[in-house]
Parts: sequence; C-alpha cells; structure tokens
Amino acid sequence: MIYVKELRKQYDGFLAVKGISFEVRPGEVFGLLGPNGAGKTTTVEILEGLRQRSGGEVRVLGFDPAADGLQLKDRIGVCLQQAALPDRLRVREAIALFASFYSRTVPGEALLRRLQLWEKRDTFFMHLSGGQKQRLALALALINDPQLLFLDEPSTGLDAQARLEIRSLIGELRAEKRTLLLTTHYIEEAERLCDRVAIIDEGRIIAMGAPREIQEHTLGASTIELQTGQVLPPGELPAWPGLLRQSRDGSGRGLTIVTTRPAATVMDAVPWLIAHRIELQDIRIRRPSLEDAFIELTGKNLRD
Amino acid sequence: MWRALPALILTDLRLALRMRTVVFFNYLFPLMFFFAFAEFLDAHGEACAQVAGMVLVIGILGNGLWGAGMRLVQEREANILRRFRVTPISPTPILLASVVTGWLLYLPALALLCALAHWIYGMPLPTRWVSLLVLTSCGIWAFRAIGLIVASVVNGVQESTVLIQLLYMPMLFLGGAAIPVELLPAWAQVAARFVPSYYLVSSMQNALGRGDPSAWYGSEIAAMLLTTGVGLFISRQAFRWEKDDPISPRARWYLAAVLAPFLLLGVWQLATAPPADGARKPSPAERITPPDTPSSADPAAGCAQCPPHRPRFPA
Repeated sequence: MIYVKELRKQYDGFLAVKGISFEVRPGEVFGLLGPNGAGKTTTVEILEGLRQRSGGEVRVLGFDPAADGLQLKDRIGVCLQQAALPDRLRVREAIALFASFYSRTVPGEALLRRLQLWEKRDTFFMHLSGGQKQRLALALALINDPQLLFLDEPSTGLDAQARLEIRSLIGELRAEKRTLLLTTHYIEEAERLCDRVAIIDEGRIIAMGAPREIQEHTLGASTIELQTGQVLPPGELPAWPGLLRQSRDGSGRGLTIVTTRPAATVMDAVPWLIAHRIELQDIRIRRPSLEDAFIELTGKNLRD
Repeated sequence: MWRALPALILTDLRLALRMRTVVFFNYLFPLMFFFAFAEFLDAHGEACAQVAGMVLVIGILGNGLWGAGMRLVQEREANILRRFRVTPISPTPILLASVVTGWLLYLPALALLCALAHWIYGMPLPTRWVSLLVLTSCGIWAFRAIGLIVASVVNGVQESTVLIQLLYMPMLFLGGAAIPVELLPAWAQVAARFVPSYYLVSSMQNALGRGDPSAWYGSEIAAMLLTTGVGLFISRQAFRWEKDDPISPRARWYLAAVLAPFLLLGVWQLATAPPADGARKPSPAERITPPDTPSSADPAAGCAQCPPHRPRFPA
C-alpha cells in the first residue's frame, strides 16, 4: 500500500526528514508517533501528494505522489486534524460538494447514517459540536470509498466522549480491513488501534514495530504492586525471578517489585505470602506503556 | 473538473447568499450610492444613465476586487482550501467558480438598478441590452480575475485589505466611478486613461444612455477579456492553498502584468484622442446626449417612453 525508502525533505537548508524508510501493508493500521516538529506531518503530506520530497523513493497505491498527485488523491481518503469547512455550509451540502470531486463515490445518505450525522444533515457546519465536525471530516474522507485512509490527529482537541466515538469509528474501519495511516499524540490511541507504529524524532525513525514489541525492546520491565493485610516479615525479601529492584512502602504492608518476569514473580510471591500467613489484599501489575518506551527512546514527552 | 465546477458554483452561491455582507455590498451598497448621487446631482431622465453607469461600476469593482480578493484569502486562512487540497481537484474550478459566482450574483443588481432608475428617475430603459450585458459581464470577469490575483499574492486579510484599497480607490476616483472624469484636473484626466474602470464607466454610460449607437466597445471588451484570461492564468499559477505556502518573489509583479492591457489602451487612447488642454469638458449628460434629443439639463424633458417626473429642485 505504502512504500517509503530513504525519504528526505529539506526546507531552506533545514533537513526536516532525514532518510526514513517504512512500508504499510494492506489492511494494516500503521501509526506515526512523534513530538511536534519531529517530521511526521511532513512525511504524511509527502505521501498525500501535498508536498514535494527532496529525495528518496515513495509509492502510495502504486503511484508516485509527486508525479500522479490527482490520481492518487482520487483513491485515498484524508481526515485532517481540524475539520475546516465554511461556517454556513450544511452537512448534506458538504457531502454533495465533496462527492463531486471524485470519480467514484458512495451514497451520501448511507454515509451520514453510518456516522450518525443524518439527523444533522441540514445543520450548518458552524453549529456542529467538535465531535460532529470530526465525524463529518471522517465522512468526507470516506466519500470515495478509499482503501487507504490518512488520519491526521483525528481525536486531538476533542472531549473524552467525542474521542471515544472517533476511536470506535476507527475501530470499525480497521475491522473493514481498510489500510489506515494514523498520526496521533495519544499513546493509548496508538496502543489500542495500531498494528504497528513508527516513532519519529528529529526526522528519523527511532523505533518501529508492534506497540508491544517496542515496549519490550525498550524497557521490558513490569512493576508489580502488592498490598497485604499484615506487615511483611522483616529481613531480606526473596530474589524473585527477573528481579530488577524492590521496595517496601512506609506502612510495611505494601511491596513494589520491578521485574522482567512478572508472571513468574506472581507465581512465586503468592505461595511465599501464604507460607508467612499474610493475606494478599490487592495486586496490580503495570506493564511498560508505549509512552514509557517513547520517553526512554526520545527523552521527550510526546506532547512536547 | 467539469463535475466539480457546477457543485462549486452552487456552493459559492449558497454561501454568498447566506452572508449578509455579500448581499449588502452587492445589492444595497450600490443602491445607496445610486440614490445619493441621483439626488445630489438631480439626475433625472437621460442624465440618470450617467449616475447608473457610475454606480454599476462601483458595484462591479466591489464585487470583483473585494468579493474575489477577500473570500479566497479568508478561506485560505481558515484552512478550508487545505481541505480542498487533499481532494483530486486543481485550482482551476475553484477560480472559475469564483468568477462565475460573482457574475451570477451581480446580474440581478444590474436589472434592479436599471429598473429603479427607470421607475424613480425616469431613465429611459436601455435599448442596447446586449452591449450592457456584455460590458457588465466582461467587467465582472476582469475585476474578479484581478481580485483573484490579489488573493494569491497576499499573506492575509489585512494585507489583502491594503492591496485592494490601493487598487480600488484609484479605480473609484480616477476612473470616473465616483467622480465624473470631466470634473477632474487635466493631469488626472490623462491618468484616467490608464485606469481600467475608466473604460468600463464610459462604455457603460454609453450603453445605458443614448451615446453613439454604432459603438460596439471592441477595444474595451478586448482589454477586459484579455485581463480576464491573463488574470485567471496568473492566479492559477500563483494559487496558494495554505497560508504557509511560499509566495513567488515575482508574484506581485503579476498584478502589473494583468493591468498591462489597460496601459496599452491608455497609450493608444492618448495618442488618438488626447484630452483638450484647459478647455471645459462637456458635462456627462452633454457627452452622451445627441444634439437632436432633449437636453438632460431639462430634467423634465425625458423621453416619450419614460414615466413623467418632476424635478426635485426647480431650475
């Protein structure tokens, strides 16, 4: 679907994209993560045919975006971060207008019903809520029934409810086996929705793979938090499998274990507590998140 | 493109008619000028054609320069053009739709003004409708095209306002749309020959009134059509989808290029018919009124087909 090799983009002497390579397979949800200015928007805009590359090779649906821009745009769907339309354009008018741009379209009514906008079809764009605007943006991106969709920060700036709605819709698109290229600031969105992610920083891909692979390859340690009914026995605690470090809390009834083998640690810890007649009241296991991996890899917060 | 063009025109028309400012500046604003001028100049009967011609050009200038020049800039600033950019359309249908929309919006204003001038001030109904329609159309197209170039070469609404004012004011005051050229000093009358609106005002006044019936305004129409073509081509080349898109260093010179037909027309006009030095120029009414027709100095005279009316101020 998408083939990128040694892509470079230079602006007035500044190299924004420094030779990145990746592929997106059919039916895959591929996420591009990176802080502001990392080069992900530039990369996506080159793939969409909006910007010319300075070097490297790019193929999207078999087209070179630089040479076959209009043909490519006829086949892809793009949902921009900010849904921008004239204020006094009605929802159904926007659908009709955008349908006229493409050689192949799906019925607008079905699309509006599916995106729960049918009741709002006569509403001006300016009177839609943030979530409704973004759903309309998604409807416009789907008007030509594209097999490849670019979603640029689709849930940024929305409230929690609207964000959930958009994620649910993206989940549906994923289930339809459409290929999605997603840029996002929300790590949990990438973890939940993406089959694979590439982390971009300062114009380079610094990690790529399934979210879990990236987490394991970077940190690989989980944190187990135990809460007990009685004070833990004094003295040295056992050396659990894969133990990196452990500590008691101030009350003496809480134990935090950082380990590379969380399952084996739990299997050993429970009989140890029983043997010491200590009641286990609560247990929490926190696996390293993609955000932890991101911070370790880039030294930055994703929203920097 | 040919499927997108009617959809864009329909959308532009809808949006324009939903905006009070568009309705005000296309229909009410020219009428305010019309009534003010007509009353101030006591322009009744055929003399009203002078006022109607001036006001129609004021409307055309506003529709072209402000309508096309501002709208595109606002859409670019609001990232609406960016949304269009990710679809398979080129700038051509967007630009053409802007020109056609401006034209369609203005035609009712032409009819309304002629009707009011006839009913209220006794202006004879124009007999050369085709000429009037062609001149109005060419005027709208040409000034929309100039407005579209302005939109392509400015960074934002504020810059657009300044540049449009720089074009609008000379065209309004020097071209005869706000003040009859005959009342201007000699140097300004020479300068007027290089202003596009001058040709539009004089030809519109002739087409509305009873000027030379054999005139077909070939050079004026050719200049305006050439301006339209060159303007659309240049605005296509300089089109910017996003405010961050760079402006070509040469882009502002494009405006000079689009005004070149009128520079040539001005040189030609001055060479063939220079304004008389220091001589009193004929009044607008005198200029268009053939000797064998009643003088517009007598506003009560009018024509046989016109409703009778009474002068507001007795002679």
